[in-house]
Amino acid sequence: MTKSLVTASKLCVERGNRRVLDNISFTINKGDIFALLGGNGAGKSTTLLTFLGFVKPSSGEAIINGIKVEEDIQAARGQIAYLPESANLYAHLSAYENIEYFLSLAQISRSSQEISLSLDDVKLAPKMRIEPLSSYSKGMRQKVAIALAMLRRSPLLLLDEPTSGLDPVAIDEFNTILKALADAGTTIFMVTHDVYGACEIAKRVGLLQQGKMASVFEAVGETKISAEAVHQAFRQSQPS
Amino acid sequence: MLHELRRELNHALKEPALRWLVLIAFSLSTIALLIGALTISHQKDMVLRLEAAVTAERLLTIKDKTDPGDIAYNLFHLTFDPPTDLAFMALGQRNERPWLHRLRMLALEGQIHETNDSNPEILILGQLDFTFFLSVLVPLIIISLLFDIEGRERREGRYELICAASPLGSRVFHIRAAVKSLLLTAAIILPFIAAAISNNLTILAFLSVLGLIFFQIVLWVIFCRIVTCIIPEAVTAALSLVTLWLLLTVLTPIIGKTAVENSLPVPNGGTILLTQRETVNAAWDLPKETTMDAFIHIYPEWKAQATINRPFEWKWYYAFQEMGDQAAQPKSWALYQGMTDRHEAMALVALLSPALFIERAMTELAGTDVLQHLRYVRCARAFHADLRHFYYPYLFNEKAMSENDLAQLPEFEPCAI
Ligand SMILES: Nc1ncnc2c1ncn2[C@@H]1O[C@H](COP(=O)(O)OP(=O)(O)OP(=O)(O)O)[C@@H](O)[C@H]1O
Ligand SMILES: [Mg+2]
Repeated sequence: MTKSLVTASKLCVERGNRRVLDNISFTINKGDIFALLGGNGAGKSTTLLTFLGFVKPSSGEAIINGIKVEEDIQAARGQIAYLPESANLYAHLSAYENIEYFLSLAQISRSSQEISLSLDDVKLAPKMRIEPLSSYSKGMRQKVAIALAMLRRSPLLLLDEPTSGLDPVAIDEFNTILKALADAGTTIFMVTHDVYGACEIAKRVGLLQQGKMASVFEAVGETKISAEAVHQAFRQSQPS
Repeated sequence: MLHELRRELNHALKEPALRWLVLIAFSLSTIALLIGALTISHQKDMVLRLEAAVTAERLLTIKDKTDPGDIAYNLFHLTFDPPTDLAFMALGQRNERPWLHRLRMLALEGQIHETNDSNPEILILGQLDFTFFLSVLVPLIIISLLFDIEGRERREGRYELICAASPLGSRVFHIRAAVKSLLLTAAIILPFIAAAISNNLTILAFLSVLGLIFFQIVLWVIFCRIVTCIIPEAVTAALSLVTLWLLLTVLTPIIGKTAVENSLPVPNGGTILLTQRETVNAAWDLPKETTMDAFIHIYPEWKAQATINRPFEWKWYYAFQEMGDQAAQPKSWALYQGMTDRHEAMALVALLSPALFIERAMTELAGTDVLQHLRYVRCARAFHADLRHFYYPYLFNEKAMSENDLAQLPEFEPCAI
């Protein structure tokens, strides 16, 4: 029996006097990957921020593992490892220092070996790991942020465009890692512009259009979601 | 909690900007203390030098002399306000008004109000004492330390990451602010502790200054936290804080001082000096009886000896010196009363300006405020009166002075606070 870990129930969100999310409902089951697609400004990041409690819904509910976010923000956040859209980790710190700082912030302790393994997973060159992030490329920084999110070992990963800035090989590798995490029971809720990658790994793909959930695609059994179909729906959803 | 503090401390210490600010605070604190200490040691040296010079001069002056008028005319006496142990932290009036006068038995008002020659050098650098550092500069350092705590994380997209990661949520930024403030406090206080030890400050003085340092830091940390919470955008928050600083540190004291000075006018020293000199100059041309009658009015005990027969007599000369003082004295009293009143009125302004409050508290502790200046002036005046009362019997009885008599000359004793 699969249990839903994430539930959005008739979520409405206003930002700056404008309705940004309009009556959104979906659920994500434990161990599933849910990919949220949509044009710029569709409300994808806002959806994640609502689950993190940074944005308050005007009506509806965001629920994580049975916890209503609005009622207990800290408990809800405790379930989540979050990778923000443009997570600039500290530029004057090295990969190790950044990871140590943020893990300590979350009151999590990991051995340096575990940290190294995680950086191995994202294929960050070992000689770079003690250099300050200011000497990293955008993709390398993203890899550190991803390693950090994985080290949290939270039940739920909220990823906002995690592969932006990564080269195609790194994207493939990242998707493989996500798949493995999901297989191991981590629930993944990701926002992405990478339609093909999303269809490759996601159990379900939601298409957000101007704050409304335009359509949801689901992988049935071993059959993956058709990227062609999603792509087409995406094109149709864009205002001409 | 300790864990949080330790982590934020480590994190803060890796921040280049913070390291610079702490270093700047430490250097400024040290420099301000050194400037104060050098100024005070310079002033102490000056007292020693002048004391030696006055003693040497005295031997030459009184050599083979017996005429009291002649001796009184030529003998200089050093009066001064010795610095307290804490004066180096707040130079206050010691950097603005004379704290030392070389007095003769001539008319006093001129000697007291003459600024250029009796006023030991006033050091521009002396403005940069610890009190100035604490009251004016420390808030600016605190603002630059705290204006951007959340703002920077927002700009760089880390704000949500941090709040989501920490079980404390956004309260983690309070800890960050606290840690940075503590580092700054240490940078300010360490040089002070060293200075306090090397100057043998009393525990009471030490704790009082420490209290003022904490007061100022806590106050501005609170201002910074409130403003940055209300105004999330860092540059706007910084501008608002600097405006607040300008208002509380610069404008309020200036406007308050102008208002107080306008509503409580005082005669100026120059006018007092002029009144005395004009009276003395005019006395040369007045009939001698006029001067002596006025003098006898105050000192009836010399009535029998008050007749002047020769064209010049010292008792007449010193009588009109004193009459010059008498003419100027109401203005002097008005000046001192006015200074006291202004000082008291500024206490109200100090309630609106933390900088002024600290300056007043520090100079009061250090014995360098206006009230102490006036105490010293009273003390110097009392000494001058002693001098006159010592010489008058010799002058009016026209008695030659022996070495023994000269040994009885009043010595200036600095007044205790
Ligand atoms: N801080 C904010 N205040 C007010 N409105 C905002 C704020 N952030 C975003 N919005 C608005 O909310 C809407 C949705 O923004 P959101 O960031 O969720 O879009 P998105 O789908 O993540 O877009 P992108 O693909 O560009 O990241 C946009 O119309 C945007 O103008
Ligand atoms: Mg977005």
